Amino acid sequence: MSGGPRIIMHLDMNAFFASVEQQCNPALRGQPLAVIGSGRTVVTTASYEARACGVKTGMNTWEARQACPQILFVVGNNRKYVDTSTRIIAMMRDYTPLVEVFSIDEAFLDVTGSLGLFGSATTIAYRLKARIRHELGLTCSIGIAPNKLLAKLASDMQKPDGLTVIDADEVASLMERLPVGELCGIGGKTVRKLADLNIFTCGQLGRYPLAILRQHFGIVGEQLSRMGRGLDASPVVPSQDAGPVKSVGHSMTLREDLCGRDALARYLLQLAEMVGRRARRHRVAGRTVHLVVRYDDFTTVGRQRSRLTATSQSEAIYHDAMTILDSFDLSRPVRLLGVRLTGLVHQHEQLPLFPEERRAAAMAAAMDEANDRFGEFTVTFGSLLTTAEKGSRVISPAWRPDGIRRIDVT
Amino acid sequence: MAKPEKVRVAAIFEPGRGVRPVWFDRQRRQYLVKETTYRWQDRVGDKPLLHFAVTDGEALYELVYSPLEGSWTLLDQQAGS
Repeated sequence: MSGGPRIIMHLDMNAFFASVEQQCNPALRGQPLAVIGSGRTVVTTASYEARACGVKTGMNTWEARQACPQILFVVGNNRKYVDTSTRIIAMMRDYTPLVEVFSIDEAFLDVTGSLGLFGSATTIAYRLKARIRHELGLTCSIGIAPNKLLAKLASDMQKPDGLTVIDADEVASLMERLPVGELCGIGGKTVRKLADLNIFTCGQLGRYPLAILRQHFGIVGEQLSRMGRGLDASPVVPSQDAGPVKSVGHSMTLREDLCGRDALARYLLQLAEMVGRRARRHRVAGRTVHLVVRYDDFTTVGRQRSRLTATSQSEAIYHDAMTILDSFDLSRPVRLLGVRLTGLVHQHEQLPLFPEERRAAAMAAAMDEANDRFGEFTVTFGSLLTTAEKGSRVISPAWRPDGIRRIDVT
Repeated sequence: MAKPEKVRVAAIFEPGRGVRPVWFDRQRRQYLVKETTYRWQDRVGDKPLLHFAVTDGEALYELVYSPLEGSWTLLDQQAGS
């Protein structure tokens, strides 16, 4: 693609999980609805009817009911959402191969090279909206702009079911009065730091002396200045061009807060098996095992341990994770555990030298083969047999429709 | 609903449009599918599964078709669609 003006689209599904549930069950349409997790009762998505009453993502069910006494709760079905998202992404790929999945319900499309085939960007947007509505009964908001930053801003401007175009010649006037916090990538902390410099709007940010921004924000200062002017040269990167992943990880919010080594061990084994299994499936191995522990007061601590040789064996990951766990204060209640493998070696094929290692590798291969055929955790460690819920119960923000980041959910 | 239940289903297999359940029977009663409100795919191991949220106008049901086994299962039922 040449360096000329680009046409970028950002598609954002409206209240995605809640809309899928409303489409599934006609009795829920038009009702204030919150989709909650199967374990802890936290709102993952609220319908627009519930949002109008003040229900927000992250509230617990009690808070949601306080805000909206007539609210209905539905336990989410992640597999339904993953399949729906995969189908929507496939529709997008009918219009351009340059689709960057941003999360389960958001994606960027570079349609610059597609205009010859389809006419205009708005034609593509209307076609996509019509297909999504016709085939799935869902609505989305689309923003069209010269870059990703502005396309994302545009899609946020009209919700639900909007289509907003920001033309190159209206960028300057739009940015002049736009609050800095409206831009994706400028969070509350940065907004406060900018306010200390008397910067409140994008116009002010774009004009601010770069040297002072660099002083306060380091190399990010330059990026902030460009953002203030509505500039963003970052390309739309399809997953196949995104380069090798740097880590494989899983985390798990426990059904209830747990204390003590033994109580946490079986969750760590489960996480180690999930990480190991995904690493083996995609033929990667890692030299460093990370463990993250989040306590009941949301204090989060992470530690790591490096190994001499890279591994993808669940038991090895588990043993390292347990060694790290022993360095934590386990008298405090824990609400979340996460295991991650980094320092990845790709196309990993290790030939074990010693009989014990060979047996372990053969056993893992046999377990993998059975689980590939009959489903995850069909054959598993004895200590996990009594665990009622196994596998990933949340859709990670890093989820992608294909490759190593396609995480199977339960 | 507590337990998944194998059920007899009449369905139309339409070229290019996939499968559409028309009725299912359960405990000697036939339920006419008035609307398939949603459909999605899933996989357990190497076994693909097609899920259908259907309504007979009174309740909402989740039917699952296993193409490999050629069998239908009633997975869930919710009152008052």
